[in-house]
Amino acid sequence: MAYSVGIIGIPPLEIIRKIEGCTVYDLDEPLVTNEIEAASPFLPSVYCAILRTAVVNSLSLKPNIIYIDVGPGKCDCAIHTATILESILPKTKVVRTINRDKKDFGTPLCTTQMPFLDKMTAITASVRSAKPHKRLPSCPPQAGFWGVPPRDFSFLALFPDTTHIYGWTRCMENKTPDNRALEEYFDPHVPTVFFAQSFCAKTALARHLANCHPRSLYLDCDVTAGSSAKAKIQAFLELSGVTDALG
Amino acid sequence: MLLADFGTSYCKFLDLDENIPRLIPTREMDKSTKVDVATGHNGKRYSARYVNELTALAKGGEALISTPDFTLLDCGSRDIKYIRYEGGKVKDMGWNAECGASMGFTIELLERYYDLNFSQLEVPLSSFSVTCGVLGMSHIFDAVVSGESEAAAVARFVKGIALNAYNFSDKPQVLYLSGGLCDNPLFVKSFPCQVMVLGRFVLLEGLKTIIQSGFSLSKK
Repeated sequence: MAYSVGIIGIPPLEIIRKIEGCTVYDLDEPLVTNEIEAASPFLPSVYCAILRTAVVNSLSLKPNIIYIDVGPGKCDCAIHTATILESILPKTKVVRTINRDKKDFGTPLCTTQMPFLDKMTAITASVRSAKPHKRLPSCPPQAGFWGVPPRDFSFLALFPDTTHIYGWTRCMENKTPDNRALEEYFDPHVPTVFFAQSFCAKTALARHLANCHPRSLYLDCDVTAGSSAKAKIQAFLELSGVTDALG
Repeated sequence: MLLADFGTSYCKFLDLDENIPRLIPTREMDKSTKVDVATGHNGKRYSARYVNELTALAKGGEALISTPDFTLLDCGSRDIKYIRYEGGKVKDMGWNAECGASMGFTIELLERYYDLNFSQLEVPLSSFSVTCGVLGMSHIFDAVVSGESEAAAVARFVKGIALNAYNFSDKPQVLYLSGGLCDNPLFVKSFPCQVMVLGRFVLLEGLKTIIQSGFSLSKK
């Protein structure tokens, strides 16, 4: 059986270089069909859906080793999730990392024109590679998305191809997850949705920045984005003149 | 051109040639109905073109409210939603279809079940802590069991719902109210702020505004 590696958050580049060639699971993404409630015996139901997903994936995939970032580029909840994973998966080696990488890789995907769902998928996939990004042309932004890659990608289809990405996702592409200035950056001229996962500490920053931005919508979602969340995004984009009300 | 707001309990229609809105209980509506442009919970089923309810609400507010700063709250049968404008531009919005579910529907059920007339009920001093129509029912039953009159218990329930809606819409000093609960005087009087009642047809007004602006909102 192939040696398998799980990652939670963004481990430092020296780790990514080491595991290139292995079967690498990004455990933050929904990878298995098991219900998220499978995490409930180990993590509270009212907890970050990304980390609950990581636990469900880990229980099912049982990687040989899990690198979990517990530094300021991830979150405090990951510190405790690492302890729990060690306890419930005794055959898996759990390695805590603190990613302080400072080398900027650039953010070509965040600012290029591309179907928004594909753009987000490409950025999350880029975490598993230490190679430099391909150069891509930048486009003028019609809309902005600030925040982390959501647990539920379905609402991303509402955004136009010319949406620029800000926040931690931009830090992710830049391979500097602990980059406060980059994370807090937004463009006040671009109507922007400030998104955070429910029960995540980043909800505070998302709401604060949304209040600072003249044309913004603050949004948090838990496991899935409900119809009201999607309707809010759609209405915000329509009322900001980004998309048409009648399609 | 026929426009409609297909709500959970009531459907509202506007023929632009007549310009007089009509109200029909949803359960009495002809299921083969087709309109040109619709909004509302059931709107996609009965129309060729659908407009998001928040967008319709916002455009209705722009058409009916003359001030550039306002909060417009729509309290329907199934959900509550609001839109807030500052300086003539959208500043915030919210749509509560889960925790705020079925508030209007529950109030109407209680009115019939207890045979109440909401125009004759006084606003009570205290309210129940109500986050959802269904969960709030247990407060009524508990109060009645402990000796409170049914009318008084329902009035506290209605006030609780009004306070919840007020908090949800970020506690404005002046609240513009739309939706079916505009017709409930106890509900309107239960808000702790000035309420400007716009009635049931604000979303239709929004659709009309969108149509008259040339089938689309301005594109950037």
